[in-house]
Amino acid sequence: MESSILESIGVEIIGVMSPVSICMLLVVLIVYSLSPAADLAPPIRSAANLVYLEVPTDSTTQKLEGALLNALVFVIIIAVVTFLLLLLYYYNCTGFLKNYMRFSTFFVLGSMGGSIFLSIIQHFSIPVDSITCFVLLFNFTIVGVLSVFSSGIPIFLRQAYMVALGIFVAAWFTKLPEWTTWALLVALAVYDLVAVLAPGGPLKLLVELSQSRDEELPALIYEARPTVSADPRNQVRSMELLFGTALQSGSVEMQPISGDHIGTREGGEHNVHPELIEAQSMNSSNSEDHLQDRDEVERSPLVGGGLGRRQSSGSSGSEYSVVVGSREPPEIVVVADEERSPLVDSRRHGNANERAVRRMDDDDDDDSDSVLASSGIKLGLGDFIFYSVLVGRAAMYDLMTVYACYLAIISGLGCTLILLSVCRQALPALPISIALGVVFYFLTRLLMEPFVVGTATNLLMF
Amino acid sequence: MTVAAGIGYALLALGPSLALFVTVISKKPFLILTVLSSTLLWLVSLIVLSGFWRPFLPLNSAASWPFAVLIITSVAFQEGLRLLFWKVYKRLEDMLDAFADRVSKPRLYPTDKMLIALAGGLGHGAAHAVFFCLSVLTPAFGPATFFADQCPKLPFFLVSSIIALAFATIHTFSMVIAFNGYSDGNKLDQLFVPVVHLVTGMVVRTCCWSYYCNF
Repeated sequence: MESSILESIGVEIIGVMSPVSICMLLVVLIVYSLSPAADLAPPIRSAANLVYLEVPTDSTTQKLEGALLNALVFVIIIAVVTFLLLLLYYYNCTGFLKNYMRFSTFFVLGSMGGSIFLSIIQHFSIPVDSITCFVLLFNFTIVGVLSVFSSGIPIFLRQAYMVALGIFVAAWFTKLPEWTTWALLVALAVYDLVAVLAPGGPLKLLVELSQSRDEELPALIYEARPTVSADPRNQVRSMELLFGTALQSGSVEMQPISGDHIGTREGGEHNVHPELIEAQSMNSSNSEDHLQDRDEVERSPLVGGGLGRRQSSGSSGSEYSVVVGSREPPEIVVVADEERSPLVDSRRHGNANERAVRRMDDDDDDDSDSVLASSGIKLGLGDFIFYSVLVGRAAMYDLMTVYACYLAIISGLGCTLILLSVCRQALPALPISIALGVVFYFLTRLLMEPFVVGTATNLLMF
Repeated sequence: MTVAAGIGYALLALGPSLALFVTVISKKPFLILTVLSSTLLWLVSLIVLSGFWRPFLPLNSAASWPFAVLIITSVAFQEGLRLLFWKVYKRLEDMLDAFADRVSKPRLYPTDKMLIALAGGLGHGAAHAVFFCLSVLTPAFGPATFFADQCPKLPFFLVSSIIALAFATIHTFSMVIAFNGYSDGNKLDQLFVPVVHLVTGMVVRTCCWSYYCNF
């Protein structure tokens, strides 16, 4: 009996949703286990808190205004830094950017990761001495820096370190006060929408710049490489086909398959802005070496856009992290923005390992080994972070809001991925999920919780 | 009653669903997506219901008829949503069949259709267990426990977990029965599901506690 289509549809989506879910779960666990201690700490001043420091005793309007001001300032800072990144990239300072990103990864893993580990050790009274702890932390950090930017590291380790980075930064962001967090999330979702889709937006400019140069951008992204399945035919971008046929777009023609698109495609395998999702096309244009049915599928003209090269638009992004200078309120902290270094080197080398396994997809081209790697969807690290911040903040209220927000975010991510398979250009991943998450949070908190808790405690179930 | 007891209650409510998920559903990514979307649908239905009932809460717990009305409206709404789910599923089935034709693979087998129905039902059941049982379970991780009036000899959390387990099973398999009934046009199956849902909802509240709880 031939395997049914149910085996293979949706693999890419699950490949992106699993790390997002793991990241959110771990952030919720960290928030739950460490939060009592955090409440007693004095408010930390950071880049997100520059204007207004929220105190529980302020009135509602004060808090609202303060939160909005904070969010505005933060978004302005991020926009300025993105333009700075754009400028640096324009003047080809890639070496500087790469090294800066290495430094910032080291810093995040070491200091933020270190402080979280320390809090966990303190909270659970784990008996470990400081020298061992320091050595372990140092090793952890160095392996992290290596795995994110170098070649020859297994993809699983790289993915794990990406998720770890997302967890640490998100856990730090949850320390912000409540109103500021919500205002910040909404403001960032709007900024993301504007920066990626509006004609003058910095991220759109970065995308176009990188595409015109056929280069990669320094950025930290999570790439969900699919697992090697026994049947390479199934690795067709099934979502595209599914929705392509559903939309019955008869006017879509095959994408031109030509040599110069290889460059674009590889150029597209680079780093994406955190808020962007990039879908990579998997098939190479030289179909001589492919299996027969692949050719059939590739040439079928009714498929939405064909299975040829997909324009992949990468865009840069910087992950902005704010560093706490001191716990004393008057001290201002350093804003460190991290930028990411290109992934393509690592991918090229990493693919050599995969090539033996995926021979059937291989191409004659030398630089086609990136073909093997590129069938995954890429999600920027900033998306991980802000999804987890939303869920972490929901966790501070109640478990029910956590479930509701988790479902909302996952469904928003699913919608965005479906849109991605239809539109085939870089899309912002934050707006839909954050909008749904915020709506569901407030609906659950205000409407659903009294209802469900009332019925459940009366053992009234349906 | 400590973390161990809390985890025990959670597993009591969700254990079989978890087993089903790990063995059957996690192997096929499409089914995972079906579970997530049906959970979301159940959550939305719960939000709509709570929006409707919010002005009337808190209900006076002395008289029992407000609760009966609550349950009847909730069950009716959820069964209506099941019909909607069925309509969406039919469209999805057509899309999947067209896709299968395009990639020259066989169309959906009957077992595939039942698997999708099972995944949908599991989503509903898991959502029920999570929202009705797990969300009130947080105090159980602490040092004490709580007893309810209806059943003074068992901890409240245990009773709630057992009921959640029963409901999760009902939701999971009634979706399979309902989809089979809708596709075959079998009136008995189609009626069986809402009736069971309604009867269970009513019985849990009103009946026989003293009989069952008399240890």
